[in-house]
Amino acid sequence: MRIYEELFIVKPDAPEEEIDAFIEQIKQVIVDGGGSVDKIDKWGLRKLAYRLSKHSDGYFILMQFSTGPDAVLEVERRLRVSDLVLKFLTVRIDEKLKWLEKRKKIREKRARRKPAPVHATGTGAAPGEPVAEAPGERTE
Amino acid sequence: MAEMRGRPVSASQRPTGGDKAVMTQKKQYFRRKKICRFCVDKIDDVNYKDVKLLSSFVSDRGKITPRRISGVCAVHQRRLSDAVKQARNIALLPFAAEI
Repeated sequence: MRIYEELFIVKPDAPEEEIDAFIEQIKQVIVDGGGSVDKIDKWGLRKLAYRLSKHSDGYFILMQFSTGPDAVLEVERRLRVSDLVLKFLTVRIDEKLKWLEKRKKIREKRARRKPAPVHATGTGAAPGEPVAEAPGERTE
Repeated sequence: MAEMRGRPVSASQRPTGGDKAVMTQKKQYFRRKKICRFCVDKIDDVNYKDVKLLSSFVSDRGKITPRRISGVCAVHQRRLSDAVKQARNIALLPFAAEI
């Protein structure tokens, strides 16, 4: 199961019910493909950075869902075909989320080991620490 | 960009860039201590969605500022540039902005 994030822009003058109906359609496609929708976030109207099909604002909708690879193709096809959608972007985020979790755990572990505040400047903040710093950490 | 006087033409003397010393016709370049904002603030997630963070690394024309000016480390500059390009594609940032 891969986790995807979909951000798409809908025409600003579309009525609310049409947008909701469209989102329901997409949800149905995902569920039919054996996936699940994690969250739907409507950002609402935002000014676009450049004109898209003669529109200067758009209604942004962010969806996060986990599904197999085939369902994503179907979702993208629906978005491409639909008249409401101006632009869409699909990002696969499961590896990224895993990596972020790992980073968070490493930071928490490190914060627990050192009783001093994390933003300690200068050398010798923890002189008794035998464990070497991870290579990713910059020493100032 | 204003004329840079006193800047040698030879490629062997790489300009460190962003140095105010260059303007004063000094031949010697010293490296200002650069800090990567992401490393210092421990920002792990450079997301294309946070336009506020990204726009601080983008010029007024919408171009990505080079590393030697912004002081970002190589790893984060790559992530930053990927995020900016994604944001540009989804109309959160402009490709080319009028000043």
